[in-house]
Amino acid sequence: MTATITTDAVTTAPGRASKPPRRRRGRSVPHLLLIPAVLILLVGMGYPLVWQAVTSLQEFGIAQQFGKPAPFVGIDNYVSLATDPDMWAVVGRSLVFCLVTAAVTLAIGILLAVLMTAVGRAARLTLQISLLLAWAMPVVAAMTVWIWLFDRRRGVVNYLLDMIPGVDMNRFSWLSNPLTFFLVASIIVVWMSVPFVAFSVYAGLTQVSDEVLEAAQLDGASGWQRLRFVIMPMIRPVIAIVLLLQLIWDLRVFTQITMLQDAGSKAGEFDLLGTYIYKLGAGAQDFGMASAVSIFVLALTLAISWFYVRSLLKEDAQS
Amino acid sequence: MSATTIPAVAEERTAPAIDAPDRPRSTKLRLRPKVRAGRVLLSVLAVVIAIVWVFPVYWMVNSSLLPNRQLQSFIPTFFPIGGSLDNYGNALADGSFFTALGVSLSITLIVVFFCLLFAFLASVAISRFRFRGRASFVLAVLIVQMLPAEGLFIAQYKMISSAGLLNSIVGVSIIYTAAVVPFTIWMLRGFVAGIPAELEEAAMVDGLSRSQAFMRITFPLLAPGLVASGVFAFLQAWNEFTVALVLLPSEQMHTLPLWLRGFIQASATRETDWGQVMAASTLVAVPVIVFFLIVQGRMTSGLVSGAVKG
Amino acid sequence: MKRKYAAAAFATAAALVLAGCSSTGDAAQNESADGQDITLWLMGGDTPDTLRTYLQDEYEQATGGTLTIEEQGWGDAVAKLTTALPDAANTPDVTEIGNTWAPTFTNAGAFTDLSDMYDELGGDKLLPSFVEVGDVDGAHYALPYYFGSRYNFYRKDIWEAAGKTVPTTLAEFDETVKSLRTDAQSGFYIGGSDWRNGISWIFANGGDLAKKDGDKWVGTLSDPKTIAGLEEFQSLFEGASNAPVTEFDSTPWVNINDNEATGKPEAATIIAPGWAHWSIGDLAPDPKDATKTVATWNDDKFGTFVLPGVDGGVAPVFAGGSNIAISAASKNQAGAKELMKIIFSPEYQQMLGENGLGPANLDYASSLGDDQFAKALIESAAGSKLTPAAPGWAAVEGAGILEEFFGKVSAGGDVADLAKEYDAKLDELLN
Repeated sequence: MTATITTDAVTTAPGRASKPPRRRRGRSVPHLLLIPAVLILLVGMGYPLVWQAVTSLQEFGIAQQFGKPAPFVGIDNYVSLATDPDMWAVVGRSLVFCLVTAAVTLAIGILLAVLMTAVGRAARLTLQISLLLAWAMPVVAAMTVWIWLFDRRRGVVNYLLDMIPGVDMNRFSWLSNPLTFFLVASIIVVWMSVPFVAFSVYAGLTQVSDEVLEAAQLDGASGWQRLRFVIMPMIRPVIAIVLLLQLIWDLRVFTQITMLQDAGSKAGEFDLLGTYIYKLGAGAQDFGMASAVSIFVLALTLAISWFYVRSLLKEDAQS
Repeated sequence: MSATTIPAVAEERTAPAIDAPDRPRSTKLRLRPKVRAGRVLLSVLAVVIAIVWVFPVYWMVNSSLLPNRQLQSFIPTFFPIGGSLDNYGNALADGSFFTALGVSLSITLIVVFFCLLFAFLASVAISRFRFRGRASFVLAVLIVQMLPAEGLFIAQYKMISSAGLLNSIVGVSIIYTAAVVPFTIWMLRGFVAGIPAELEEAAMVDGLSRSQAFMRITFPLLAPGLVASGVFAFLQAWNEFTVALVLLPSEQMHTLPLWLRGFIQASATRETDWGQVMAASTLVAVPVIVFFLIVQGRMTSGLVSGAVKG
Repeated sequence: MKRKYAAAAFATAAALVLAGCSSTGDAAQNESADGQDITLWLMGGDTPDTLRTYLQDEYEQATGGTLTIEEQGWGDAVAKLTTALPDAANTPDVTEIGNTWAPTFTNAGAFTDLSDMYDELGGDKLLPSFVEVGDVDGAHYALPYYFGSRYNFYRKDIWEAAGKTVPTTLAEFDETVKSLRTDAQSGFYIGGSDWRNGISWIFANGGDLAKKDGDKWVGTLSDPKTIAGLEEFQSLFEGASNAPVTEFDSTPWVNINDNEATGKPEAATIIAPGWAHWSIGDLAPDPKDATKTVATWNDDKFGTFVLPGVDGGVAPVFAGGSNIAISAASKNQAGAKELMKIIFSPEYQQMLGENGLGPANLDYASSLGDDQFAKALIESAAGSKLTPAAPGWAAVEGAGILEEFFGKVSAGGDVADLAKEYDAKLDELLN
C-alpha cells in the first residue's frame, strides 16, 4: 500500500538525535550537500520573507504598489493590530479551530489506523482505498463537492437529515451561521487530513515488534493495556510529527475557508487568520498590515509548536 | 508531550525497522481467539467508514454523469441511471484541459524531482554529519514553512517578474520547490537516520567505496522514503492555486486548479453548470489517482515488502 | 544561544535582499501603433465571443499587430490587477475593470490620461456617471465600457392569482411582495447581504453610502435618509424574503423558475441585472446538448417592471457594468489607443447593444432594441447610481464591509447603531 510508507519517515523523524553522527572528517562535505537546499530556500523564500518583514514596518497600500515611496512607520502596524478587537477575535477563533480540528483529525486517524490492524485483509483494503481516493482529491475539486453536499436547497446532507423523523433540516443554511460554518469547515479539513494521519500511524503500528506484544500478552496485559502502555509509546514519534504538521496546516488553512466564504458569507465572523490576511492584503490593499499579521502568525505558529522546537534545540545542545 | 522520551523510543524502534525487509512479520495486533467474533464487527465498521469517507468522491463522479437539469432539482439523484458522458465532452471541448494538464504535469514533475534531490542531499547532511550550523539550518527550515503564504503574493510577483519568469513554468516551480522542500527535508531526514550507518560500513569492509556503499546499500533502503516525500510534494504542487493565480496570469499557462476554478466562477451572465464542474473536478482528480497507482506499483516491488506489507 | 537561532532564521532571508528589485519602470513610448502586439484583459465572460473576434480582426487591420484577449475571473481580478498593472513588462495594455474599482486604480496612477482623445471617443455622449468614476481632477483616465441595470422580474401568474398589480411606489412594492410571502415562497427573493441590490432602497430614500467632505471621503450610513432606506430594506427583507441573511451573490433567476422537483417557483419576484432574462422562463432540456437546460420566456407567466421610486417614477438602482482604461505602464500606448478607438467606434457600440450590454455611448442605446427588456433596462438605467468615487472604494469592497453591514441589518440589528459602527469602518478605508 503506497501511503503506508510515509510512516517510516514520520516514525523516525522527530527524535532521531539519538545516534551521534559518526563521520567527522571531510568538514566541507555536509555544507556542500546543503548548498542546493539553502540556495532554493534563499531564492524562493528569502526575498518574500524579508519583504514581508520590511513591509510590516511600513505604510504600504495601493499607491505604494504603484510606485509611491512607502513611509516607515515603525511598529505602528503591530500596535494597531494589538489594539484591534477584530484581530483578537480572529486569533481566538483560529486557535480554537486549529486545536479542535487537529485533535479530531489525530483521534480519528489513530483510531482508523488501529482499526486497520484489527480487521481482515478485505476490510482493510476497502478502507485504505477509500482513504486513498479521498486523499487524492484535489483541494479545489473536493471543496466544490463539499459545498454542493451542504447546499441549502439541493444538498444531500439536508436531504438525508430531513428524512429522519422529527428533524426539519429542509433549507437549513449551514454556511450562514459562524458555528455551523466552522463545523462544516472542520468536517471538510478532517476529511482531507485523516488519510495522511491514518496511513502514517498505521505504518508506525506495523513497525511495532510482535515479540514485544507477545511478551506483553504473556505478562497478562489486556488489549487496551497493550495499546496504552506498549503501542502508544512506540508510535509517539509519529504522532508528534503528524500533530505538528496538522497544527501548522490548520492554523493557516486558507483555500478551504475562502471557498466556503464564496458560498456562504464574507462577513468578518467567518474569517480565520489565512482569510484575514488575504482580505487585508488582496482585498483592502493594506499590505503593511497584512504583512504585520503574517509575521504575527509566524510567531504564533512557532509558539504552538514549541513542544517540538524544544526537542530540536535539545538535540542540538547534545552536540 | 515530553520531548525527552522521544530519543529512547526511537532507539528501540530502530531494530525492527531495519530487519524488516528480510523478515516477514505479521502486522496485526494479535487478538485472542475469543475476540474473533468482534473482528467481524470491526470489519463491518471499517467498511461502513470506508463508504462514508468515499461518499464525496462518489458524489462527484455521480453528479458528473447527470444533466444539469437533474442536479438543479431539490430531490437528489443517487445513482447515475440514464446518465451520460456529455458533461465530460463539454468540459473537454475547447482543449484547454490538455493545455492545463501539460502545465500542471510539467510544474509538478519539476517540483517533485528537485525537491527530492535537494532534500535528499540536505537530509544526508543533517543526519549523517555533525557540523556547525546544523541545528540552525534545521530550525530555519522549520520556520520557513510556518510563514503564511497569503500575504506573500506581491513579493513573489515582484521577484519572479523582475527575473522575467512570469508566465513561465520555471518561475512557479522555483517558488513551489522552495515552499515544499522544507517539509521534504523533514520527512527524508527521518528515513536517512533510520538506516544505520553500520550497513554502509559493513559494505565498505567488503571493499566498496563510501559512495558505492551509499548508492548500493542505503539508497535502495531509502526508496520508500523518497516515494513518500514525493507523494507529498506531488500533492502540494498539484493542488496549489493562490501562487499560480498571480504568477501565471496568461490563460495558456493556467494550471489545472485554475482551469477548474474557471468553471466554478459563475459570471454575471452565466450561471455555474454544476454537472460540468463535477466532470471537470473528476478530470483533475484522475491524474493524481493514476500517479498513486503508479507509485504503488513501485512500492510493492519488494523493496519494503516486509515492512509495509498490506 | 537564542541569538544564534534568531540569526539563523533571518540569515535565510537577509542574503536575498539583493535579489529583489522594483519592477516599476517608465514605459518606453512608441510613436506608432504599426505592428504593436497588445493584450486586452476582459473580466468574466460577459463580452461575447463574436465581439472578441471583431476586436481582434479590426485591430489587426488597423495596425497589423496581434490583439491577445485574456479573460480574468471577477473574483481574482483585483489581486491580479494590483500586481500586473505597475509591472511594465507584464501589464495588460488595455484592461476592463469593474466600474466601482475605477476610482481606486485611477487615483493610484494606474492608467493613462485619455483627456486628449476623450472627444474623439464620444465625449459628452458617454454615460456620465461612469465617466465620473474614472476622473481625477477633471482628467479622464477610465472610460465606460458597458453598463447594465437592474429591474424586477415577477411571476405574473402568482401576482394575478393574488389580485396584485404592478406597483407604482416603493412602499406599494414593499407591501405587495410582503403579502406574497409564504413559507415555501419568497414574495421578493433577495439575499440579506446583497448590498448591490439593497442600496437601491438607500438611494431611493435620498441617502448614499459616502460623500466627499472637503477633500476627505466620509461614510454617510448614519445620515437620516440612509437610515430610513436601511430600515425600509430591513423590514422588506424580514417580511418578504426567505433567503439567508448571509447570501450576497445569488443567481436569483433559479428561484423564479419552476423547480424540477416541485413544479413551483421559490420566489414571486426578484431583482436582477437585465441579462438575467436569458435564464428565465419555462425550462426544458436543450435539444442541442442534453446536459444543459434552456429557458423559454413565457409572457403569460413572467413579467418585468422597473423598481418604483418613493414618490412614484423610477427608483435609482445600482448601475452595474465596467470601465475600460489603458495601463500607464504599457509600452504600447499607441496600439492601446488604437484599440480604444475601435471599442468606441459606432460599429462596436452597436454590437454591444445588440448583445444586451448597455453601450457606453448613449447615442447607440437604441441598439438594445425595443422589447420589454430593452425598455426596462434603459428606463432603470436612466436613474441609476454608482457607488462613491472614493479612492479606497475597491478596498471597501475587497474587505467585504458592505456584505457584513447589510447582513447585520437584515438579521434585525439596530440600524442606527450599526450605521455608526460601519461608518467608522468606511472612514478608515475610503481615503
